[in-house]
Amino acid sequence: MPPVVSIKNLSLGFGDITLFDSLNCDVKPGSILAVVGANGSGKSTFVKTLLGLQSPMNGRIEWPTGKPAEIGYLAQLTEFDRRFPIRVRDLAAMGAWQGFNPFAGLNKTTRNRVDAALKMAGILDLADQPLHTLSGGLLQRALFSRVIMQDAPLILLDEPFSAVDQYTEQHLLSVMETWQSEGRAVIMVLHDLSVVLDHCTHALLLGNGRASFGTVNDILTPDRLVAQGYMSSSQASWMFRGQTNGGTR
Amino acid sequence: MFDLLSEMFNYAFMRRAFVVTAILSASVAPVGAFLVLRRLSLAGEAMAHAITPGVVIGFVTAGLSVMSLLFGGLIAGLGVAVMTAYLARNTILRSDASLASLYLIALAIGIFILSAAGSAVPLKSFLFGSILGVDDASMILVGGVATVSLVTFALILRPLIMSTCDPVFFESQVKRPWIVDQGFMFLLVLNLLAAFKTLGTLMAVGLMILPATAARYWSGTITAQLALGFIFSLISCWLGLTLSYVLPETPSGPAIILVAGAIFVLSALFGPLGLRGQFSATKKP
Repeated sequence: MPPVVSIKNLSLGFGDITLFDSLNCDVKPGSILAVVGANGSGKSTFVKTLLGLQSPMNGRIEWPTGKPAEIGYLAQLTEFDRRFPIRVRDLAAMGAWQGFNPFAGLNKTTRNRVDAALKMAGILDLADQPLHTLSGGLLQRALFSRVIMQDAPLILLDEPFSAVDQYTEQHLLSVMETWQSEGRAVIMVLHDLSVVLDHCTHALLLGNGRASFGTVNDILTPDRLVAQGYMSSSQASWMFRGQTNGGTR
Repeated sequence: MFDLLSEMFNYAFMRRAFVVTAILSASVAPVGAFLVLRRLSLAGEAMAHAITPGVVIGFVTAGLSVMSLLFGGLIAGLGVAVMTAYLARNTILRSDASLASLYLIALAIGIFILSAAGSAVPLKSFLFGSILGVDDASMILVGGVATVSLVTFALILRPLIMSTCDPVFFESQVKRPWIVDQGFMFLLVLNLLAAFKTLGTLMAVGLMILPATAARYWSGTITAQLALGFIFSLISCWLGLTLSYVLPETPSGPAIILVAGAIFVLSALFGPLGLRGQFSATKKP
């Protein structure tokens, strides 16, 4: 099966600063790629480059099956206006806005799709709630429903579980597994290594000017995590305690 | 009361004023709503000052005509808007600081030319408008601006909502997100110019901001805010005009904005999202 996106010899940075160079990786349908790295290692820059918001210093991004019309995207909430006066269902509908008639309301098919997306995210009963009444976890579910509405073959999630409780995280992970079973590729920036180890097929570790790509078990080894500045050797020893040969759990 | 209304509507200039302010209210309501939602309330005031040099140069070179006002104001306003966006994207200054710097320069140029032109410029009309002397050309200007403005808003409403609510997501979905930003600034300048002749440079933004901020206290949906903004704007204009008619020494611009101000205060006090509502200080997200 051809990859959704193929990254060739990619180098990212700003001006004279190189964040990492020579990254080669293929992201195949049904795979979940975790992007892991210390602050400032280039995780969000990598996501923005895939979205076309930033140009690479070197290398190229290829789309073997054609560049998707939509790339599902969930950004960090830093610039999101939680007081904006719309309902939960309006936020979800934004995911399909490009097909809307500017002079008409949503048709029945789209309204049904919105309901299905909200149901999948577990918030159909909140569909008519104003956005400002939602908690952090419920807002994240609403944003997931917008990604569902995008119906994209490639989905980018930037720290999707940073402000949600365990129950919500489990639900959103189940949504992600549904995407995986539907043959969509997911790339997500994460800090929680336990989620990476339990739910991701591949990992991209960034740090100290390097980018390492491979299966989760090959990449998330104590030696690599320390060498690429993600954690100290004592943290790695504690996290991988009880293991020999430098492998993951 | 009936006698007063009957007497007031005997005058053609009052009938014109009521019609033109109704059209103006429909046109400025969506601009005001999005100025508030995009946290650009003060930027609207700055843009009102930024169009000053264009309007003054238009006046000095071609007299107080609608076309000189429109083109002079558009060039100055859009020039400042484009320069602001350019500086914000390419230098360390954020857009608020860039706009503040540029509008102050524009305002100084405008006042400099205004002073150099001397007593030929009707300063009071310039500052507070002349709603009671609205001519055919002004009515056509307001009608034309309202038509362009409302059609453009219908076309860009959804992208505008998206870019206001979640700008990062919006930028990821379109190739040229700046078109929506600059399109909105164009509508702002256009509506300022429409309101400029009738309300003056100092009061023009008031009709955009105050009804929109008052509407924000009453509703949690964008549709209701747009509708309420229009209704509040219309009430402000018509009550303000009546006030100005009853008290002949009162300029119409400030009278209209004072009524809008009273609606804002009442909304802040009694609106469900106001001081007594669910957005009390302890519950803000």
